[in-house]
Amino acid sequence: MSRKLGIALGALVLLLFAGSLLIGPAALGLGESLAALVRGGAERDAVALVMQEVRLPRALLGLMTGASLGLAGAAMQGFLRNPLAEPGLIGTSASAALGAVIALQTGIASLHLLALPGAALLGALVSVGLILAIAGPRGGALALILAGIALSALAGALTALVLNLSPNPFAAAEIVFWMLGSLTDRSMVHVGVAAPFVLAGGAVLISLGRGLDALTLGEDAAAALGVNLARLRLLVILGAAALVGGVTAVAGAIGFVGLVVPHVLRPFVGARPSALLPASALGGAAMVLAADIAVRLIAPDRDLKLGVLTAMIGAPFFLHLIWRLRRQLA
Amino acid sequence: MTLMALDTIAVSRGRRPVLGGVTLAVEEGELVGLIGPNGAGKTTLLRAAMGLLHCAGHSSLADLAPRARAHAAAFLPQAREVAWPVSVEVLVALGRSPHLGAGGIGEADRAAVARAMARMQVAHLASRPATELSGGELARVLIARVLAQETPLVLADEPTAGLDPAAQIATMEVFGALAAEGKGVLVALHDLGLAARHCTRLVALSAGRVAAEGQPEAVLAPEVLAEVFGIAAHFEAGPEGPVFQPLRVLHDNR
Repeated sequence: MSRKLGIALGALVLLLFAGSLLIGPAALGLGESLAALVRGGAERDAVALVMQEVRLPRALLGLMTGASLGLAGAAMQGFLRNPLAEPGLIGTSASAALGAVIALQTGIASLHLLALPGAALLGALVSVGLILAIAGPRGGALALILAGIALSALAGALTALVLNLSPNPFAAAEIVFWMLGSLTDRSMVHVGVAAPFVLAGGAVLISLGRGLDALTLGEDAAAALGVNLARLRLLVILGAAALVGGVTAVAGAIGFVGLVVPHVLRPFVGARPSALLPASALGGAAMVLAADIAVRLIAPDRDLKLGVLTAMIGAPFFLHLIWRLRRQLA
Repeated sequence: MTLMALDTIAVSRGRRPVLGGVTLAVEEGELVGLIGPNGAGKTTLLRAAMGLLHCAGHSSLADLAPRARAHAAAFLPQAREVAWPVSVEVLVALGRSPHLGAGGIGEADRAAVARAMARMQVAHLASRPATELSGGELARVLIARVLAQETPLVLADEPTAGLDPAAQIATMEVFGALAAEGKGVLVALHDLGLAARHCTRLVALSAGRVAAEGQPEAVLAPEVLAEVFGIAAHFEAGPEGPVFQPLRVLHDNR
């Protein structure tokens, strides 16, 4: 990533992060809000409470969710050498959603604040074990894609089954709304749940740049350049699963960020997979922060879900992508 | 010094044997041509030598750790794959990746990349996206990537396929120059004329076994050509070096 692009994306993320802190139903002044962020002890008034307990966790989760999905998407595309790859491809997000849905359905979710994210993380963990077992230790990219599709379909079917057997419409509605993905009403506890997975997964994926660069030449050439492909694949799966599992557990399923962001930024980094990793992390953070500000501005009282908005932006973009690919191939 | 030693390499795909015990060594200063009809096992032998597929027998390269192997030998696969529209210069610089420390690309690496691009006459393409090159240009760029690795040994799988005559000759001359510098090159070839003129030694594979090995004029003898390729050919040591021209098919040997 060139320094110029890094600074531009970094500044954009900072701006949107500040925007996320400043926009909300409680109309607070700029200076007042920022001062309230650091106010503690006896001076901790309602304004400080709103800033510290509501808006700060929301902005932090937006940052983490977007960066995770962007980074995981760039790593998956680089590893599979396919611009249509996305973080959900290995089945982690569908499995995490299944875990959360089971927690909501059984009522475990209402027992403890951490029960729902915990169940989602468990779902993600099971999916990683399954995908490694199905795709095999030496299988190539194709085996991984097929295993991921099968696993996503299975998790999706089980999620539908849980919805189908749901005892009352309220539980079903709760499940559906959770699955749409949102950052509303999250707390610092949620930030604390996701942060270790996001940091660990991010550190793993960002270190894989050189291996992904070498893969530009194909698997044989990369292996001959000294890349340990089995290790690279394991780390891509573990890193992406930690990121996606971590943020899905707290924010629900938020689609298209990991697909769209790397694709938009690829021309700006000279198409190098290693440079695309940090750029996509920043770009993803910017996209989710912006979308989360937008849901608050577009329909403040209707609770428009974040995942709905990213899909509304992402799906037409996806069509545009296919359209361009078709023209290139013609 | 021996740069690579293969000892009774055997590979099977399911129950079908692809290679049946190939023993082969490449010494410093050699340009060895690996010839044989389609399906004889040339590509499989090169991949087995690099440790890219599971095989019985023993390869001195496959025994090395991945990074040490990337310092000992560079490999040019047959498939000319480039997944992303990176610039030619970035693509060639991938050849330096086994040499990079924590600091990334340094002066010495940049110099090696420039040397390699000059040698393959692709310096003028440096800033072009690699996915927008012609087939022949891409082939030369990918060879430059292998040269940038600056290894004692180069293994190349059909590097001249699809190149125009000038680029074919230039490429074989580059490999010849590497051999003259004391490096070793093992190159799989279909063009027996190029093999006859440029290689210091030929190895003819047939149905996964070494059918003949030695000086080009010995390996391209009429009885070997008839048995391995099923063709008759004209071979002559002319004033400008050996001239080889396939003439006709003798029988269908497949």
